[in-house]
Amino acid sequence: MVEAAAAFVAWLGVSMIVLADGRRGLGLGVALAGLGLAAIVFQGHGLVAAAALAVGAAIAAARRLVSGSAGWQIMPPGSTPRLVLCIGAGLLALWIGFGITTGTGAALRFAVMSVVGLAGARVLASDDPAVLLTAVALLALAIAAAAGLSHSAPGMWPYVAAGLIAAAVGWLPVRTPDAA
Amino acid sequence: MPPDATEIIVFIALVLGFALAFAPAQSPRRSLLVRGGTGLAGTVAIAAVPTFDLAILVLLTLGVLHAAAGGKRAFAIRLRAPLLAVAMLALAVVLARVEGPVVLARFAAVGLVAGLAAGIGLLPYLHPFDADDAAASSPVAWIAFIGPVLAAVVVARAQGLLTADAGGAFGAMLIGLGLLNMAWGGIATWLTESTTAAWRYSFIADWGLALCGIGLTVSDGRRGALLVLLTIVLGRLPLYLVFRQAAAAKTATERPVNLVVAAMLAGSAPFAGFAARVLLLRGATQLYWPLALVLAAGMLLWLPGSLRLGRSIGAPRRRQALGVALMLAANIAAGLYPLPLLEAARL
Repeated sequence: MVEAAAAFVAWLGVSMIVLADGRRGLGLGVALAGLGLAAIVFQGHGLVAAAALAVGAAIAAARRLVSGSAGWQIMPPGSTPRLVLCIGAGLLALWIGFGITTGTGAALRFAVMSVVGLAGARVLASDDPAVLLTAVALLALAIAAAAGLSHSAPGMWPYVAAGLIAAAVGWLPVRTPDAA
Repeated sequence: MPPDATEIIVFIALVLGFALAFAPAQSPRRSLLVRGGTGLAGTVAIAAVPTFDLAILVLLTLGVLHAAAGGKRAFAIRLRAPLLAVAMLALAVVLARVEGPVVLARFAAVGLVAGLAAGIGLLPYLHPFDADDAAASSPVAWIAFIGPVLAAVVVARAQGLLTADAGGAFGAMLIGLGLLNMAWGGIATWLTESTTAAWRYSFIADWGLALCGIGLTVSDGRRGALLVLLTIVLGRLPLYLVFRQAAAAKTATERPVNLVVAAMLAGSAPFAGFAARVLLLRGATQLYWPLALVLAAGMLLWLPGSLRLGRSIGAPRRRQALGVALMLAANIAAGLYPLPLLEAARL
């Protein structure tokens, strides 16, 4: 039950990133998605792995709150396709994660597929560096969480590396294109 | 670390040394060293990390750093393709690891092929290209510097991830994608207006051959693919760097050196590209002989484009001439006696 709730929180977080353009919306989105992924990872792979993801997400969220477009800007005009995408991707991930596939870890499968799919879609649809780097942070966290699906023990490194990437990527200076 | 990836990394390091040593005196060597060194470190990390998840995370980091390093294209444009590759590889890994219907493993194979094509910058995921972009910040860095190692790693990891059925689908998709890139790249090299774009398409055509070789699954195919990847790293990439200097000086000549370079780019004997083509044709014949016919016809597409590219490097002088001579000698050596290279990669 806790895992299912955490997976829903992860989907809600990444949906917030798809639907928001402002730094508050993006910051809340990365915090929620990171929290959801960390909670699922905590169930299966322990405190250190979960803490690495949670700390990375928290730093990414804190950084996002002080850079990027001001305000929340959740669902600005013209956001209907984004909303449809969030619901459609969530339903597809739910169907695959809980209906098509078998075995334990259904919540992890749903969370990873929805976060990777929606963060990837956000990258394709935005030109704003703040949005793109937020999506990068979430992609890193989801890839590390996917290591938990491996049949062999993944160790701590994927989680630590993803936490570091998520924490650091917000500080990356983005250069504007050189003049022609 | 996959042995073929190790070998490619050694050659990438040599090419970086080539670029630093034989670039004209006024070139910004420090910037090249920093960017090339970062790229080299990233490719080493992609191959050296113990799990595929970590390799994808390294690829993500490399994509972000490359996009943030600047260039003529906007940050979002530069970041999009590598991130798409990362997302598709990650989804493929998830689908390969879950328990469920057989078709999921086939979707995983689709994800691996699509992620590989997006990461390298092949059809149908061509990276947007600006002819004025420096080589280090252009898509050529992905197609010629990072791509060969990424391909070696993805193929090696796919063997552990995919079932036999999905592995067959993986190989078939690589052959299909390879033929598409071969035809598209060969024709575009010949017909496109911009010579810089023609060079980029010539890389794509070479990648088409390499993908066909990887997809053949017989040992001759893998051997041919490795030699094609080595000719990309050790032949086409250094010549592209020489072309960039000639393009700055706006020179194009028709001297003997240009013909020799064109022969090398076209994959004629005694260069390494010829040995690669012989191995690929032999592998295709073993698997399904009509495929060898299609490959042989496709290989003819290299001729007109290579003559054009050979002329475009101008007349190399001083240290550049020495660099071109060394590169040609290395390619002849690899073409005449490729066995040590293949044995080092355990093929």
